Amino acid sequence: MTRREFVQFVLKTASAIAVGAYFITDKVSPRRFIRAVRQKKYPGSVKQLSNINTQGKWRG
Amino acid sequence: MKVQCRLCPKECLIKPGQSGECRVRINIDGVLRTVVYSYPCSIHVDPIEKKPFFHFLPGTKTLSLATVGCNLHCKNCQNWEISQANPEDSEAFFCPPEKLVELAKTNQCTSLAYTYTDPVIYYEYTLDSSKLARATGIRNILVTAGYINKEPWKELLQYIDAARIDLKSISDDFYREVCSATLKPVLDCLVLTKASGVHLEVINLVIPTLNDKPQQIRALAQWVKVNLGSDTPLHFSQFYPQYKMQYLPPTSAETLDTARQIAMSEGMQYVYIGNITSETGQNTYCPGCKTLLIERSGFTVLKNQLKNGNCPTCGQKIYGVWK
Repeated sequence: MTRREFVQFVLKTASAIAVGAYFITDKVSPRRFIRAVRQKKYPGSVKQLSNINTQGKWRG
Repeated sequence: MKVQCRLCPKECLIKPGQSGECRVRINIDGVLRTVVYSYPCSIHVDPIEKKPFFHFLPGTKTLSLATVGCNLHCKNCQNWEISQANPEDSEAFFCPPEKLVELAKTNQCTSLAYTYTDPVIYYEYTLDSSKLARATGIRNILVTAGYINKEPWKELLQYIDAARIDLKSISDDFYREVCSATLKPVLDCLVLTKASGVHLEVINLVIPTLNDKPQQIRALAQWVKVNLGSDTPLHFSQFYPQYKMQYLPPTSAETLDTARQIAMSEGMQYVYIGNITSETGQNTYCPGCKTLLIERSGFTVLKNQLKNGNCPTCGQKIYGVWK
């Protein structure tokens, strides 16, 4: 094996290990939640509560 | 770090800064956060018949609320402007659970209805509000597609008095193609709800060419009868062209009448048609002696002849919560 071949072998092996490790950790590592934590600030705009005595226009 | 939301069967893997399919449960710094807790986009006092509930406290008012977002993406959604909206593009009110209960009381509402979009996606808000409402004597009702995992559903059911669950079709292909969901979790949710003793009503939106064939209706009614019981109220509702299904016509009155007849011929005792005016399709009749028990017009109860939940003629007990 020439020095060039050896360097190529090392680089290919290392990158294969790195890519494999990334995919494995990406699949198995997420933190799992059922309940979500309350975020206090609403990302949209917040308006004053208006007349609620009218029937809702939405179905249901 | 990614997080996985295990509230509903979609079990979204969510990258930092992104939301799940429901648009309202977001990964912020590796923690799953709900951005709609205490922020409903809609609050109204509705008649309970509008949900529709026909066997649960008829003639009462219910404080109805929803946040934006939904875990389903039905192409026929009637409330798509809020169900398919992003929180950051929408307006909301600040209304924590304590305020909801107070509003229900001041507006003479006997119940809180978590409705319009789907209470599954604002689960924590629904759960906390339900606990508080129950402690103060206000009932809790859910209007949902029932697309939720068993564990959180069981926990929520402890505080729920009634659920109206969509059974959009008895076909898994329909759920996949029209709703981007699957059928089995919905069936499991329905069975679990009935088994838990929570009052249950089922609704099916009849869409021309997609789920309106007699054999599809028959299969649906048979499943409901076998798995939930023949006393479970079953509503067939009229489709109206909406959202991504504007190319289909509204469901005809004849199709809805046929659906009702098929379900009744299969042994279902309380079958209704909705979203459309009907002479008899919105009334409750005694399954034993056929006496007219509750006469309705639209969302209004015209006459209620029940005596302590029983037929005044033959004394048969009628499934429901009447007081």
